[in-house]
Amino acid sequence: MTGAFAFAALIGSVIVIAYGEDPIFVYRTVWAFGTSRPQDFAIVLENATPLIYSGLAVAVAFKAGLFNIGVEGQYIVGMAAAAGAAITMSGLPTALLLPLVIVAAMGGAMLWAAVPGVLKVKTGAHEVVTTIMMNGIAVSLVAWLILHPLRSGVTTTDLRTEDFPQSALVPNLATSLGIEDVIPDSIVHLTWLFPIALVVCVAVWFMMFRTRLGYEVRAVGSSPGSAEAGGVSIGGTQIKIFLISGALAGLVGLNHILGDTGYLGSNYETGLGFSGIAVAFLGRNHPAGIPLAALLFGMLLRGQDGLAILTELPIEILIILQGILILSVVVAYELVSRALARRRQAQLGRAAN
Amino acid sequence: MAETATGDHAERSGVPLIALHQVTKRFPGVVANDAVDLTLEKGEIHALIGENGAGKSTLMRVLYGLYPPDGGHIEVHGEKVKINSPRAALALGIGMVHQHFVLVDRFTVAENIILGAEGGPLVDLDRAVKHIEEQAQGYGFKVDARKRIDDLSVGEQQRVEILKALFRGVEVLILDEPTAVLTPAETKDLFENLRALKVDGKTIVFISHKLDEVLDIADRITVLRRGKIVGETTPSDTSKEKLAEMMVGREVLFRLEKPDVDSGKPLLQVEGLNLASKLHDVDLQVAAGEILGIAGVEGNGQRELAEVLIGLRSPDSGRITLDGKDITGRSVKQNRSLGCAFVPEDRHERGLVLNMSLWENSVLGRQSRAQYLGGWGVLAIKKIKELATRLIKEFDVRARSIGNEASTLSGGNQQKLILARELEDDPRLLIAQQPTRGLDVGAIEFVWKQILVQKEAGRAVLLISAELDEIYELSDRIVTIYEGRITGEYSPQDPPEKLGIGMTGGRGAEREAS
Repeated sequence: MTGAFAFAALIGSVIVIAYGEDPIFVYRTVWAFGTSRPQDFAIVLENATPLIYSGLAVAVAFKAGLFNIGVEGQYIVGMAAAAGAAITMSGLPTALLLPLVIVAAMGGAMLWAAVPGVLKVKTGAHEVVTTIMMNGIAVSLVAWLILHPLRSGVTTTDLRTEDFPQSALVPNLATSLGIEDVIPDSIVHLTWLFPIALVVCVAVWFMMFRTRLGYEVRAVGSSPGSAEAGGVSIGGTQIKIFLISGALAGLVGLNHILGDTGYLGSNYETGLGFSGIAVAFLGRNHPAGIPLAALLFGMLLRGQDGLAILTELPIEILIILQGILILSVVVAYELVSRALARRRQAQLGRAAN
Repeated sequence: MAETATGDHAERSGVPLIALHQVTKRFPGVVANDAVDLTLEKGEIHALIGENGAGKSTLMRVLYGLYPPDGGHIEVHGEKVKINSPRAALALGIGMVHQHFVLVDRFTVAENIILGAEGGPLVDLDRAVKHIEEQAQGYGFKVDARKRIDDLSVGEQQRVEILKALFRGVEVLILDEPTAVLTPAETKDLFENLRALKVDGKTIVFISHKLDEVLDIADRITVLRRGKIVGETTPSDTSKEKLAEMMVGREVLFRLEKPDVDSGKPLLQVEGLNLASKLHDVDLQVAAGEILGIAGVEGNGQRELAEVLIGLRSPDSGRITLDGKDITGRSVKQNRSLGCAFVPEDRHERGLVLNMSLWENSVLGRQSRAQYLGGWGVLAIKKIKELATRLIKEFDVRARSIGNEASTLSGGNQQKLILARELEDDPRLLIAQQPTRGLDVGAIEFVWKQILVQKEAGRAVLLISAELDEIYELSDRIVTIYEGRITGEYSPQDPPEKLGIGMTGGRGAEREAS
């Protein structure tokens, strides 16, 4: 793992040098922008929040041997469902409205994930193809929703929904803890959705490794034939995990609309679902690895701000670095597991002799 | 080297045809061949025997140029040679027929044989056919060179593979477990062919673990154990028991005491079972305390039959009853809860989840039972681990820890784990499909004993196997299966030749008659 990071840093340096900049300065800038002040680190955590949810959504599906590329579309639909709930039920108090909005987001995304799930099980349509198509439909559907039924009547130029009522918003963590003078809530949108994300990680771990459902999911993912002979319904398990993956995907966009903007605009944050694939990959699809990977991505994202201010580098440099990092980790993991397998075989060989 | 019988070879003057000197081949963590010395004489049938993983095939693959050796060298006619590809081996007159044939199904016999040895851009097929048929006749091979491969039986395809090697002028022919895919009648034919080749001065290396066959056909027998040669002998100097002991390193029981159990009433009844083009009007009955053996060459519907019975597939028509209760089309889960147990032919695809731990694997099939669940669908891990610990102890599964992945177990121990799991809770019906495939002699003995224990305990056992030894050793009654049909019922007292008729759907009978 360390080797992989070193390798990624090395390749990154070569690119930075090619641009005529000092790689040490670049890395120091990224580090400084993510850690110098509490509010810098809070932004890193804010960046990491949606990535934890999307990483988990991808990972649970992957454990069942399914590749949910559709987290992107699922969270977009989830945001629209949340917006619809927040606007139509605006009279309710926070204690009722906020949970309803969150459930709406999860439900909308779940519905969006159910379609490829059912298609997969009933017709055998491959989930990679169907989820990608569902992504396209989601983008168009939400664009239409923002343009027509959910559009704000305030101005004619803004393509966005009305502002959500205050009771639908997720409280800012700094405000709740009374430390907004250290971490100003006007700049940093770190909300309760971050600690909840960590709780969800624990819940997913428990589901995966301590419940019958998780057991069956892992068995189906690793050896469908053996699972089937053990009385596990492959199709049933796949549908269940698509629904769970979708529900998790529904949480991805909430920090953006309920913690930051307070409305759903046509320029909503995109790409969080695809980043989730990378996060799940880097976190080895494990609920303990995913927050760490999300943290790293959150830091690189924050570093882009610094590079934009202090260097002439295109901000894409950090995206390239992310890509190299993922590749290096994959290769490193493969090398390590091969070495382990060799050692295990050697031990077996010795035991046999 | 307790049994090295070098005496009668001493008078053979001159150099051997082929000599392997101190050949060593290592794979990561395993020494597959450890400084092996082996000589092959002209015109002999040399059997190479040993348990699975003893290094027989590896050694011959080194000779055939598929693996470069890590140490030692090979001499042909006393001259040191380097064989780094099958092409180089063929040029030296060494050919090999693998267990899995490499033939183009849609080509004719002649086209397959000349493929890669056309000798120019233009192919004179008629001449090739004539040449091949002459050669085949010379050795007593019955082959029609104009037939397409997919119209041939497995035994005929094997003959084509052998002819392919002979066409390339080989003097040494290596056969890797050639009888594994053959019916008894086909094996007999093959042996006649091999003897004809020997008379013509060809050298044959016969890799096998079937001791009766080796004693029948071989001139010399070399025994390998864990990559080393443990002895060399001749059929007249040894016996099946002695060979088994050399292979395993300890005494092995061949005749198991079959418990005398009165078969009770029919427990499993199958009537008119059909499945697409795989099973046709299958009728079966197995009584409590009875072992019914289903004999057949692989790929004749055995897998489908087992999968229908356990509930992995639904039949198109027909009725399956267990103790009078109709279980047709029920799910695996339902069948298991009624007391059906299943030992699959493919441990990795149907038995274990290799990257899950032993304790997780030990509960597969019972994960829905209340005794292994706490509330809210949470696994009762403590109880499952207790179960795993007990199963591993009772069935002597060699594992360091129940937390290890199933992939860390050897094949024999994986099979023991499956058996332990499936036989837990006193099943009423055991469906055992190729239960000893790929296991060594010691593990086979263990599995056989366990199956007999089931019979003694009054359970119905359906034994599906392509190994006739196994069928004979365990069954109370035997039926043969051919192309998805039950083709005959036999008793273990009937000779294998008689079973062969059923195993070839009656075609064997015609051959026997002609």
